[in-house]
Parts: sequence; C-alpha cells; structure tokens
Amino acid sequence: MIAYMCRYAPIEIFHSFEEETHYIEPETSLFEQAEALMHPIVCSFVKCALEDIISAKYDGVVLTSCCDSTRRLYDVIKNRYPEKFIYLLELPVKKTPAARKVFENSLRKMIREYEAFSGKEFREESLLSAMEKANLESTRDAGNLPGAVNVGLLGARYSPSVMDLIRRSGANISFNISCTGQDHHFCLAGDGSVMEKYVEGLFSKVPCMRMEDGGERNRYWEEHKEGLSGLIFHTVKFCDNYSYEYAGTRDELDLPVLKIETDYTPQAEGQLKTRVDAFIEAVDGQPLPPSGTDPLAQSGLNRAGGTIGDNAMGKYVLGIDSGSTSTNAVILDENKKVVAWTVVRTGARSGQSAEKALAEVLEKAGLVREDLCQIVATGYGRVSIPFADKVVTEISCHGKGAHYINPKVRTILDIGGQDSKAIRLDEQGNVKDFAMNDKCAAGTGRFLEMMARTLELSIDQMGPESMNWKEDLKISSMCTVFAESEVISLIAENKDKADIIRALNQAIASRNEGLLARVGVEPVVMMTGGVAKNVGVVKAVEEKLGQNLFIYEEPEIIGALGAALFAFE
Amino acid sequence: MTLSIIAKYAKLIKKIAVAHPAAAFQLLRLGLLYERTRVKRLPPEKIPDAYKYLNVMALDSVRGAMRHPEKAVCVNLFAPVEILQCFGLTPLSVECFSAFMSAFLIEDYFIGYAEKTGMSDTLCSYHKNFAGILESGVFPKPKMALTTTIACDCNVNTFRYLEKKLGVPSYVIDVPYEDTPENRGYLVEQLKELIAYLEKETGKTFREEDLKGYLERENQSLAYQKEYMELQARKYYPSSMTLQLFKLFASHLLPGAPEVLEYYRLLAEDIKKYPDRDMTKIFWVHVLPFYQKSLKKWFDFNPDYQIVGMDFDLDFSDFLDVENPLDALAGKMIRSIYNGPFENKIERIKEALDWLDPDAVIHFCHWGCKQSAGGVMELKKALQEMDMPMLILDGDGLDKRMTPDGQIKTRTEAFLELLQSRRGGDR
Repeated sequence: MIAYMCRYAPIEIFHSFEEETHYIEPETSLFEQAEALMHPIVCSFVKCALEDIISAKYDGVVLTSCCDSTRRLYDVIKNRYPEKFIYLLELPVKKTPAARKVFENSLRKMIREYEAFSGKEFREESLLSAMEKANLESTRDAGNLPGAVNVGLLGARYSPSVMDLIRRSGANISFNISCTGQDHHFCLAGDGSVMEKYVEGLFSKVPCMRMEDGGERNRYWEEHKEGLSGLIFHTVKFCDNYSYEYAGTRDELDLPVLKIETDYTPQAEGQLKTRVDAFIEAVDGQPLPPSGTDPLAQSGLNRAGGTIGDNAMGKYVLGIDSGSTSTNAVILDENKKVVAWTVVRTGARSGQSAEKALAEVLEKAGLVREDLCQIVATGYGRVSIPFADKVVTEISCHGKGAHYINPKVRTILDIGGQDSKAIRLDEQGNVKDFAMNDKCAAGTGRFLEMMARTLELSIDQMGPESMNWKEDLKISSMCTVFAESEVISLIAENKDKADIIRALNQAIASRNEGLLARVGVEPVVMMTGGVAKNVGVVKAVEEKLGQNLFIYEEPEIIGALGAALFAFE
Repeated sequence: MTLSIIAKYAKLIKKIAVAHPAAAFQLLRLGLLYERTRVKRLPPEKIPDAYKYLNVMALDSVRGAMRHPEKAVCVNLFAPVEILQCFGLTPLSVECFSAFMSAFLIEDYFIGYAEKTGMSDTLCSYHKNFAGILESGVFPKPKMALTTTIACDCNVNTFRYLEKKLGVPSYVIDVPYEDTPENRGYLVEQLKELIAYLEKETGKTFREEDLKGYLERENQSLAYQKEYMELQARKYYPSSMTLQLFKLFASHLLPGAPEVLEYYRLLAEDIKKYPDRDMTKIFWVHVLPFYQKSLKKWFDFNPDYQIVGMDFDLDFSDFLDVENPLDALAGKMIRSIYNGPFENKIERIKEALDWLDPDAVIHFCHWGCKQSAGGVMELKKALQEMDMPMLILDGDGLDKRMTPDGQIKTRTEAFLELLQSRRGGDR
C-alpha cells in the first residue's frame, strides 16, 4: 500500500499497477516521535503524518515538493526507511507547458523507480482505465442548497472531525477547495497522450496556495457566491500559506467569514464548536438547539412539544454561562429586570457547577425552580447543562447582554479564563463579526493565573499591585511558555513585582489589541469577563486603544445576562 | 548610538508611523545616515578594515534603495540579482531590510501591523516585518519584486500578497527540486522571460557582456573568499554577529559588483595582519539573532569565541561558467543548499567545516522557518557521526519577543562549558 497526502498525488498511476493507495488522514494526539525527528515548529499536519507513517505499515509513501515541511518530511522518512518506496514528486508552482513538462518528467522517473521497486511493468492502457475509474468515483462539490446555510471551505486541509463539526452545526458544505477537497477528474477526450491528459487533469484542479496563480481560487468562490451564506477559512498550526489568503481577501469579501485554526490533534472541541456554532447562528440568524436534541427543537419547539421551555410554569427566565473559570447565572423577571445573579467557581465538572449556580441564584432571588419558565445555557460548558431548554453561544450572548446594559456598545473585548474574544455589534446588538484566540492561552485569564502563581501572588492582588509600577519593563513574548520564562529571568534580575505585572498586563493588552484589530474597533468598547475586574489590564488595554473602556460593575455576568435575554426570543 | 538613544528613536518612529508614515521613512533614512557616519569613523582597533568597508557598503545599498524606491526591487536572498544589477536596479532584500528594522528596535511595530491584517503568528517574522513596512506606507511602493521558490514557502506568498494589496508587480522564479538538464532548461527559460520583462519595464537593452562581467567578478571573489577561509581557520579576525550578517550583502545581494570584489580582496588581504589564536571556533547554521544580548557577549568582538563562518554565506561556492551565464545562474539557484534534499545542505556544511576547522556548530532554529528546523535533527545526526558537537537554539532572528534570553543563555553557556571540557581545561 502506498500512502499519500497531497491533492496532486498521482494515485491513479499506482492504481494502474494494481497497487492500493491510502490517504493519510491522521488524528494524532501526541507528536512525541515527530518532534524528536523534526522540530516542534514544523507544520502540525506533517508531524501527525510522520507519526502515522511510523506507526502504519505502508509499503511506500509518495509526497510532492509542495511545502517546506513536506520536503523535510521526505528527508526524514527517506533516511529512516531505505527499504520502502519513498518518492518526492516535483510539483512546479507554475502551470506553463514547461512547468508541466517538469512535472511529467518527475512522474516518469517515479514510474521507472516504482517498476524497479515492485518488479511490475507500467502500461498506459492501465493508467487510462484507472483514470476512467477515478472519473466514475469522483464526487463533485454539493453546491448551494436552497434554504440552507451554505458555507464554502477555504484554507488548509480539514480533518474529518472538523468537517463533521461543521456539518453538525447545520451547515451545508457547498464546496471545499482546501487540500482535502476536490477529487481527481480527467478529460479523456481530444488529442494527446494518456500521460499528457493525466498531467492536464491534475493541473486543472483549483490550485492550492503554494501555486503561483492564487487568483484562480478567488475566481472559484466568486463564481459560487450566489446563495452562499459564508466562508470558513481553516489554517493548520505552522502551515502559513493560507493566512496570506485570509489576510489578502477578508476585507474584500462581502460574505461573512469565520477563521479557525487547528493543530490536527483531536481538538479542544468546545472552543472550536463555539466558534462554528456562533458563525452559523450569525449567518442564519437563529440560535442552535441543545447539542444532541432532535430536529424538532430547531423549529423552536421544546422536547416535550410545548412552545416554550421545559419549565413552562413560571414567569422568570434564567441565563447560565458555564465558563472555564466561573459559572455565572442571572435571573430576569418578565420585564427583563435582573432579579438575582451569582458567580460560582467552575470546578472539575461543569455540570455540577451549573447545578450549584442554579441553586444559589434561586436562593438569592427567593424563588424555586418552578418559577423559571425558560433556561438558556451558554459558555464553554453549555452542552453539559442538562436542565437547559436552549443553548446559545457566548458570542451571541455577550452581544445581547452588552447591548442591554449599554446600547451604545459596538465592540466587546471579553477576556475569560481560557479564551479571549473580540466581538463587533451593530446598532441592534447583533453580532457583525468576531474573532477568538486559538488554543494558545496567551492573553487570557489562565495566562494571568499562571503568572500570578509564578510571582507568588493571588490573582486578586495582580491588578492593584501593578498600579505601583516604577520601571518600564517589557515582557515581549506573546507565548505563555516564553513569557513565563521571561518573568523568571526578571525575578532573577531582582526586578520589582509591580513592574513585572505591569509588563505582563501590557503583553496581554498587545495580544488582545491584535484580536480587536481583526474585527475593527468602534467605540463604545466594552470589556467583559473576569479579567475586566483587573485594573492593571484594563488600564493597559485603554492605553493601547487610546480610549476608555466601558466596564459594567459585574463584568462576569454579561454572557449569562445575554443568555437570559435570549429566553425572551 | 547607545541603546537608550536607539530606544527613544524607535519610540518616535513608531509614534510617527501611525499618522505620518512618510515622516517615519525620512527618520529611518536619517538613522542610516548617522550609522554610516559613525561606522566610517571607527578606528581599525574597533572594526577590521574589510568589515568596515562591508558595513558601509551594506548601509549604502539600503540607503540607495530608500533614496530611489522607484529603482528598488524587493527580492528574497536567492534571487538572481546579477540580472537586476545589469539593469541598474537595486535589490532590496526582505531578510536584510527586516534585520535593519530589528536593529532600530521597531520590528515589533511592523510585525504587529502585519498580524493585525490577519497574517499568522507562526509566520516568518522577516516576511511579516517586510509586509508590514510596505503595507503601513512607511516604505514607498518599490518598482517590483523578484523572488524564487528556494527555501521558503513565504516567498511566493509574500510577494503575491504585496502585488494584490499594493500593486507591486512581481516575478516568481520556480526553482525545481532536482538538478537535471531539463530542469535547468526550465530555469533558463524563466530567466529569459524575466530579462524580456525587465527590458520592457526599464526601457533598457540587456547586454550579455554585462552579465558575464558580474559572473567573472563573482568567480574572482570566490577565489579571495577561499584564501580568507584558510586563514580564518586559525586567526582571530574581530567580528560580530551583525558583521557576519552583513556578509549576505556581498554574497547574496550585490554579488559580482565591483565594490564587492574589492571587499573580498580586502578581506583576504586584511586578515593576514591578524594573529593566530587558540580560541573556540563556531560554525553557525541559519540566521543569526544579532541583537541577542547574551550571545553578543560571547560572539561580538570576543577573542575567546569566534564565529568563523555561516552556511548562508557559503550556500553556493562553485565557480560559475562565465561563457554560459544564464545556465550558470540556473545552476547556482538549483544547486543552492537551500534547494533540493537536505542531504545536499549537510554535505556542503561538511565541506565548510573542512575548510574552517571549527570546534562546534550552532544551529539557530528561526521561529516559523520549517525548511530549516525540519532538518535540524538530520544535521545533528550527521555531525554526531563525525564527532562534531552541535547546539540547537530556538528563537527568532528578528523578533526579540520570541527569543527568551534565559533559555538562550543557559543553553549556550552549558554548550560552551561542554566545549571547554572537550578542549581539556578552563578558559
């Protein structure tokens, strides 16, 4: 069996030899061997592929000279497996006749080497049969479906789990021009040799970003724009080709765009799901039903078939925001007035914390469970709250909550325990755009907690302490691990804690300024989340933005408040 | 300039760049003029004559591109700049110009600018800095861009991005992976296309004799370089990481220029005046973090530790076939150690080690550079087989935020201790 991983891989040639091929689609959780043989900064997919190649029993691997990481992968496996068929196919970046000849020459060389390796003989008529079979089996893009949320997939490859996550969010994938999209299809009519038609077929695909003419990609999605609801850009950590495409086109597109990044390991699905769901909500204008519920719920009906929640008896509504650090709950009365709220620490199990928050907030309000007619859950742990009637992402809830508190708010910076979000709102409080940090914890509450531990301070002391700064220090790294190392170096230099904390606050502000820039900053800017209570971070962000932030007296409950407001819709 | 003055200068540029990019550009030019004047006045005790000449030449090259952006061509380090020089155009390297911005302590501003547009935080900082300085309007629109596919995925992408965003026309030279006659033919065809394009753009006629002149001087330069390397293997020739980087102006940006030939002649001559010395000699692989404070203590003008060479400076060291200039340039690109299989690079490094006889190799893994970092363990394995110690450092050649001093200091110090114990004693 010959393994491959590039959309330009000439698998039909191996089929003509009656050799099986296998598309490398690993989902490895550890890069132990790959990082020992290569380096941590190599493309995450390539590291996964190396782990797969080491553990699987392939007879050979065919790679293309498509990118830096793949070329180095070839060097590593060629030396490691001299007994296997390891081949790197020349893949020019141009499509000129001369470039195609370079590709064809490399294909012919591959055939010769495979003949020597396998003892089999290449026959053009077998290749023709393999091409005919590929045409029969190739699936075309689904296209835009009437009434559906149609999304186009751009960027680097999508793992099966990410594809599944997008489908589960309710989207129809209209097209996929990433590295994992588009089957081979060959035009067999006309003059020319079989090999020429084969090369032509491979080169006629929508090019990937490493090819010179990126314009063809733009033209493809322009042609498919009619009926398209939005575009998803996916990038793989340490594969940088596609960030250019995102940077180069995001301002030109008149379609909603979601940018996500994974490292090809099984994801911290909660965060990725939040982003995809929020995007689909935003383009569709409808909140999603709780995860795992039946499709009836999508129509607004509850599980019992009623028209409101399971808790249809009462006249109060509850919003509950299950975050990574705290679980926050807010009860509103029928006039949308806050009756009570609470903030409890999220422990090891988000479900238990939600029960605790529910009990606490009911007690504070002097109510019982039956007084609640609708419960809406949001936050990272929203899918683990069994008593919720509806789930809405925290992106939409923060928008709703912020608009309720102050209708002039147009931009929100929410720094939570494990993620940061920048959200842009329109005049009605609807989400216009948003950006979120990726898996890295830099610039989040968790980052501050780690640094507080290093400095032997409680998290509550960090803000006030930083206001006593005297020396202008710099923590320059954006990376949590590097920043901690910098803090340790500053401690070793006997620098004052207040100065170090201020430098940390500035690093956090820088990180989040970048996040805000991705959605655009329009006043009034509100800061939400637990970190908004930290005066040092607030000041640093205000300095970066050159404007004051609007901060509600209880910035942690905005998401829960928004969730409660969604109960009225 | 002392560090505190540079810091104030940097702060001012960053402040002005937001609303008045053209004024920030003029401040940058002023900074380079000041630096040129300062270097010119340094006595030989501070900087050897050849390196002073090199330093001024590098500054003048950048200043020339800034004085006449309409004649500046953005290039990556492997572009066939000899052809550009034949047309009177000034190459402006993504890598070298970005390093200048880092020396002025303003790289974070431009990197941040690029990241705000959506560029990845794992992308090479040289490319982000360069895109940032152009997109922010601080550097006026250059005439065009010329890149090759050698070494780095960013090349095609950065120049295509700038073409789309700013309208800087670009030409990409697609360098095949394998060195075959057919693949060289593909390259020659592209070079001819490039020449035709430049003739049209500049209104000048290409003269093959001019190109031959550049290649002839390159061959003469290589002969001087080999003389110098033989002496560098045993002599202490005061240097710094920054000066080592300036060598790229001679080997990659202005090769074959008459002043570059003069530099190599001076280098081979000047080093003879310096004494033999028993010192720890390092061969450096990949980019040099010239600003890094701990490394500066060891490798900037320190008679006990000397960087005797770097792979970037020696990535192509064959004599060129002057009579077939386009074929020679095609061969130069396709045989660069940054093209093709990593084993080619390992073999070329081994050759350089034979010439320079260092005690050890330091490989700097530049953040975002997969082509280099991805092969680092292959190089280490090959060097272990020849009992050559190798240290791997992780950081960023440009962006100080990504190079933690504690890590660099501890790793390097431990490595130098290891080398001392191999040499059998304390220094």
